[in-house]
Amino acid sequence: MREAAWTRIASCGTALTLAALMVFAGPARADAISDVLTAKGPDRQKMLEEGARKEGSLMFYSALTVDQGLRAEVNAFAKKYPFIKTEFWRGTEIQISQKVLAEQRANNVQVDVVESVGVAGTLSRANALLPFESPYAEAIPERYQDKTKLSAASRLNFFGIAYNTKLVPPGTQPKTYDDLLDPKWKGKLAWREDSVSGAILFITNLLMTRGEPATEAYLKKLVGQNIVSFNGSARTLVNRVIEGEYLIGLNIFLHHPVISATEGAPAGAQGMEPVPSVAGTLVIPKGLKHPHAAMLFLDFFISKEGQEVMRDAQYFPVIDSVKPLKQLEPITPALVNMKENYISDQALLDNKRKAEALYKEYFR
Amino acid sequence: MSGSSLGVAPVAPRMRLWAGYSPSVVILASILLICVVPPLIFLVMASLHETNYDGSMGAFTVDNYKNLLGGARFFRHLTTSALFALGSAITALFIGGLQAWIVERTNTPGRQYVLCVAIVSLGVPTVLYTISLLLILGKTGPVNQMLMALLGQSEPVLNIYSLGGMILVEGIEFAPLCFLLLSAVFRNNDPALEEAAMMSGANVAQILRRITLRLALPGIFALLILTFIRAIEAFETPALVGRPGRVDVLTTDIYGTMQHSPPDYGEAGSFSMILLIIVAVLLFVYSYTARNAARFQTISGKGFRPRIIDLGRWRWLTFAILVTVFSITVVIPMTMLLWVSFQPYYEGINLAAFGMLTLKHYRSVFGSESFREAIVNTLILGATTAFVVATFTAVCAWLVTRRFRGAWVLDQLCSAPLIFPAIVMAVAMLEIFLNLPVPIYGTLLSIIIASAIHYLPYGMRYSYAGILQIHRELEEAAAVSGARAPTIFLRIVVPLVAPALVAGGLFVFLVSVKAVSIPILLAGPNSRVVAVALFDMWQNGLMGELSAIGVLWTLFMTAVSLFLFMFIRRFGLAVR
Repeated sequence: MREAAWTRIASCGTALTLAALMVFAGPARADAISDVLTAKGPDRQKMLEEGARKEGSLMFYSALTVDQGLRAEVNAFAKKYPFIKTEFWRGTEIQISQKVLAEQRANNVQVDVVESVGVAGTLSRANALLPFESPYAEAIPERYQDKTKLSAASRLNFFGIAYNTKLVPPGTQPKTYDDLLDPKWKGKLAWREDSVSGAILFITNLLMTRGEPATEAYLKKLVGQNIVSFNGSARTLVNRVIEGEYLIGLNIFLHHPVISATEGAPAGAQGMEPVPSVAGTLVIPKGLKHPHAAMLFLDFFISKEGQEVMRDAQYFPVIDSVKPLKQLEPITPALVNMKENYISDQALLDNKRKAEALYKEYFR
Repeated sequence: MSGSSLGVAPVAPRMRLWAGYSPSVVILASILLICVVPPLIFLVMASLHETNYDGSMGAFTVDNYKNLLGGARFFRHLTTSALFALGSAITALFIGGLQAWIVERTNTPGRQYVLCVAIVSLGVPTVLYTISLLLILGKTGPVNQMLMALLGQSEPVLNIYSLGGMILVEGIEFAPLCFLLLSAVFRNNDPALEEAAMMSGANVAQILRRITLRLALPGIFALLILTFIRAIEAFETPALVGRPGRVDVLTTDIYGTMQHSPPDYGEAGSFSMILLIIVAVLLFVYSYTARNAARFQTISGKGFRPRIIDLGRWRWLTFAILVTVFSITVVIPMTMLLWVSFQPYYEGINLAAFGMLTLKHYRSVFGSESFREAIVNTLILGATTAFVVATFTAVCAWLVTRRFRGAWVLDQLCSAPLIFPAIVMAVAMLEIFLNLPVPIYGTLLSIIIASAIHYLPYGMRYSYAGILQIHRELEEAAAVSGARAPTIFLRIVVPLVAPALVAGGLFVFLVSVKAVSIPILLAGPNSRVVAVALFDMWQNGLMGELSAIGVLWTLFMTAVSLFLFMFIRRFGLAVR
């Protein structure tokens, strides 16, 4: 009995000491991390590299397509900094924000940098992000900049429909939102339900440009089209359209079908006015373990070098000095005189609840 | 803890401390309570609280239940779940039952290989099966292409992403298990009744219908309920086949509530509680039926061998049936995977594609560190879970069979996790790990803990049956010679039940490495396992790499299952 009591006291003591260490060491460590993330000056690069060398590894969560941008960007970074073992995990922005929040709650943060569409709004609202400063962020055009310094734009995305050119001869594809209501498309449309950039963005774009009553009236008509709720990435949805599983994929990244078309696949892209555009963003979550490596990665991603990797993977770069590839011109709204509706992470977040409620009401 | 207090022989003074209970019973029961009770408590807690923006618990509320039971969605999905489960149970029982009858009771050539095939197919990840069937039966798959050409239609004929499709896929997946369980039922029929029928002039069909099936009926019915429960709990097929076609069942609905940002743990909790209650009720019905099935037992003291029916020329028909089932469940899905793994990108089957065969997916798989990590993680998960479950249940089963005071509690507690469908167990464990001050979320250890608890009942069945076969005379002889309880257990019991424990361990290994529902909610980026990697790859459209990994993994798991098969053969054990 006595022994048991001692064991109990000892274990309680250990737990208390650990808790105390966590309480006192926590803020000190957080300060040190903040210093790294907001460091300025000529020796910044040297300091980051030295720190990253000690950290030795980096975990990157992203919603980029593995075979297109994600692997290319990570490999290019690993080539430049071979001493950092860079790993990545690909999920939808919902899975990513969920994982980040869970890791923080469980006090076991594994991620260092996140890149996705729509994730900055959710995570900043949950108070899960750290502010940072990168000298490379200055090259980002004014309207894509985040004043709170909690995120940095990483790429641009224009959304529209993908269609199978074998089954839907070019010219006969829907070109406006009202074209989608044509009975001949019934049961042939698909959109993503598990991603903010899928059905939710589709509805958000309408809410922002038409207002709530008109949007609801439109959705009521759209229900009759029996849209397939697709689970999986936007890229996979485009693949299914190419395979002929669905004739038309709604609210996909317009550059995805273009990439496939250059490889000979029967894929067409069509923007519908107003074309929704969203920037992908990089964010740094609280509790990260490799701040030096994280900043080096973030710098690299928005530098000319990293943006060229994005460009070569046929994405729209976010800085003006790197222009998108020629084949993307027909889907760049500004170049084909189409109206564009830029949806910031904040706007996405502001409309999310309404859009989700509408989706749940009509399409679940 | 002194050895004597474990004991077979009554030991007086120390016992008083434990109120007459063996300390080992008390300790094991406490461990089990810690494993089984908190998941339930956390589920109830989560279901009765609002979910904050960061996922933590908010204010008390009963709205989660109100919303759930007040909406039409829940009842619609409940009905779909029931239809799906019933449909797939019947499909599986039909395929498996036909096979079992042919194998056990007829002289069909090649029937001895069916058992081997069934056990091997237990090792193939369900995700992989589902995906290959989707490739075959999908709109662009060979089946639809052929049907379209045959019927001269321009639209795909079959829609696999439907309730019917789900039933077909799940039915095919459950068939091997039904075969294994029904074989035992057909094997244990006394042939005297059939012989009497034959003497009275009945033909094969009449005997089958009026004697064999009648006798097997309670066994079949119990199995129907068991398969029904398993289908209610199924996650992979509803997630991959049902969801794209907007056919939701309860398990995918639970997963769906976790796919919100922020995740709605409250809704997931209330959903899980309801599913848990449904499964508990069904399990009760099952145990009742299984107990009553004893009324139809024909095994008696006299020795008998089931009669083998000579089918004459008809045996080639039954042979053709076996070959067809084998093709549908194994050959065609695996060929499809093999085909896709050698294609640069997938777009159906056509002649032109033969010219494009490539090894690039295999190269990228072998070159990928994350794949190697996933394999190592999976092996650690399977081996550790199997070892923990087998060891733990062996001790529990021994204490139970030797009727240590209060040991019956161990039996009950070991079976308790049965009421948790895997996805519910995952939701509950996730809640626990997120609320623990210890950083365990996202680690491999967290998946091992959840899996070990989930598969405890399976291990218990193997260990219990194994120990039941050993008469206690041997242990008494050892006790008389002065051996204490631990010595008796380690030197007498363990060597004798080792085959049963190994078989149980191998079974737990096989089922835990192919499961998706637990690791999909618990795994972190460094603790990914193969089954989840396959699931992710399907969602990310990486068909080539997925197939390459699938082919390699299937080869490996086939080797493990073959080993299990030979082991079972060697020691005359049964697969449950």
